[in-house]
Amino acid sequence: MVGPIIDAADIVKDYGSARALHGVSLEVGAGEFLALVGPSGCGKTTLLKILAGFEEPTGGRLEIQGKDMRGVPAANRPTRMVFQKLALFPHKTVAENIGFPLKLQKVEKSESDSRVRAMLDLMHLKPEYLDRYPAQLSGGEQQRVALARALVSQPGVLLLDEPMSALDAKLKKSLQAELKKLHREIGTSFVLVTHDLEEAMMLADRICVMRSGHVVQIGTPADIYYRPANMFVAGFIGETNFLPVTATKTAAGATVTSALIPGASAEIPAEHVSPALSAAGTALLVRPESTRFVKGDATSGEWVLDGEVEEYFIKGASTQYRIRVAGLPAAVVMDLPGSIVLPARVGEKVRVGFQPAHAFLLSE
Amino acid sequence: MQIEQKSWKDPVLIATVAPLAIVMVVFFLTPLLMTAVRTSQTTQYYRLSWTWNLKIWTEVFSKPHYWTIMLRTVGMAVVCVLLCVLIAYPAAYAMATRLKTYKTQIQILIIFAFLTDAVLKTFGWILILDKNGVANWLLMHVGFPPEMLNLLFSPAGTMIGMVYNLVTYPMFTIYLSLVRIDRDLVLAAYDAGASRLRTFFEVTLPLSRPGLYSGAVLVFVLSLGAFLEPRVLGGGTSPLASELIRQSFETRVNWPLGAALTLVLIAIGALTLAVSVALTMRRRPNQGSAA
Repeated sequence: MVGPIIDAADIVKDYGSARALHGVSLEVGAGEFLALVGPSGCGKTTLLKILAGFEEPTGGRLEIQGKDMRGVPAANRPTRMVFQKLALFPHKTVAENIGFPLKLQKVEKSESDSRVRAMLDLMHLKPEYLDRYPAQLSGGEQQRVALARALVSQPGVLLLDEPMSALDAKLKKSLQAELKKLHREIGTSFVLVTHDLEEAMMLADRICVMRSGHVVQIGTPADIYYRPANMFVAGFIGETNFLPVTATKTAAGATVTSALIPGASAEIPAEHVSPALSAAGTALLVRPESTRFVKGDATSGEWVLDGEVEEYFIKGASTQYRIRVAGLPAAVVMDLPGSIVLPARVGEKVRVGFQPAHAFLLSE
Repeated sequence: MQIEQKSWKDPVLIATVAPLAIVMVVFFLTPLLMTAVRTSQTTQYYRLSWTWNLKIWTEVFSKPHYWTIMLRTVGMAVVCVLLCVLIAYPAAYAMATRLKTYKTQIQILIIFAFLTDAVLKTFGWILILDKNGVANWLLMHVGFPPEMLNLLFSPAGTMIGMVYNLVTYPMFTIYLSLVRIDRDLVLAAYDAGASRLRTFFEVTLPLSRPGLYSGAVLVFVLSLGAFLEPRVLGGGTSPLASELIRQSFETRVNWPLGAALTLVLIAIGALTLAVSVALTMRRRPNQGSAA
């Protein structure tokens, strides 16, 4: 692989006395799809604006395609942005919108026209839309026009600032699929900002999870899901259970004990231990789908918690149970395969079992 | 929201529309109609007589003197519009983009100046423009020959007063359309590779057109009727239409002539507006609102 297309090191951004980014380092490979994820205010949009050239970093180094970007205005960067609210020019037709970057590059009219046409085909937009104004198109169509405008000048990097947050769920799904296909087809690097980790997992090759101006974890979707750096990352995707434990590191991994299950101790293999493990607030991450009701004897090594069914939700393919366990602050969430006969009713006393060796050990 | 289809005989509808309709009929249509009727009468010995002829119109159309004044009025109005827009646009742009912190204070100051009585302000300009006034005094002190400017009682003096009194309108209409432009559109233009200047001409200027046009129309209509400035600052050396109409009514007590000239002025104004609206609307038909 050639060098990274974006190489950002120790990017710091201050707004007055408030620090929005605390030394963020990030590399994006050529043709890679990277997602920046985090709750609102985590600095992901600020980082994107710095990449695009709308904001100057207070400190740090940013190289795009091997060139230092300090003082380079947005207009001269090899990046193109798709805005959250799309920012299509309302007074220009679809053709003028898509062809705008080419017009600025003084591309010949005939060539510009054919490239606009090609983008239209790529985005599955009808040719008769060329003379329409953005306001005359539907939300999904506007989205495609915005993508077409950003891609027509064949940028090195495409930056996407939550472009799908305003769409309804169904349209969002189909556009996500199209975006992934598009990325595969054109081979441009994509950097997507989103607050939706599920969207990021579906689309991205790598995910960068951010929190209050820091990068918490960068990794593949599988890394983020199965090997989260800490409870923040783990809690960011869907519902999970955290069982407070005491851990001692060993050569093969760690030994954990829990106050809720007296006398029991379990060996956690090294690959199930977070590399960022610290002494404070260690917990076992138990995914809802890896729990079961224990009726009869527990299997070997299984940990069992006694509780009471608080509520259940039938989701079709699966049934979700929430079990109140004495000593745990939050209800234990279980995802069981759906069945005709419900395994337990509300208020019923149940035993929840899981294999601690399959769980993941992390800290706050 | 459902759009209700109502019969025009609906009593509630009539009751809600009636007050405005009555005001328009009584205070706008009736005087206009009376003015039109006046033109077909004649005055003799300072009294109106109810004759029905079009004699006055032959006079209006045969005397070039009136048309010189009408043409001068339109010319002054056009120049006034251009100057107002040229001054107001940068000021509004600065308020909308650069001076956001002080924008409230600036607006309050402008509104204060705007609400000060126009007569006072116009007379104030005499102090500045007079041969021995502030302007010449300042110019002399920075090394220019004494009494360099001789603007008072000239069309230039009239123009200064008109621009000063009217520039606030386009300043606010342009400001309002500038602040409505989504900042992302400007960023999108930069991102697409446009320079600041290019972005201004490709995005900011076209999107601020509504404010620009409505400001220009306001200034044009108001300056057609400019009365105070040509009297006070123009000194009556080159009268404009309003002065001519006043003279016809008051000095010459020729009401039919005054009425006819009034209609001519209204017609010129309406025609100019119709032509400019047609020219600007033709460019972009059925363009939806901003997405």
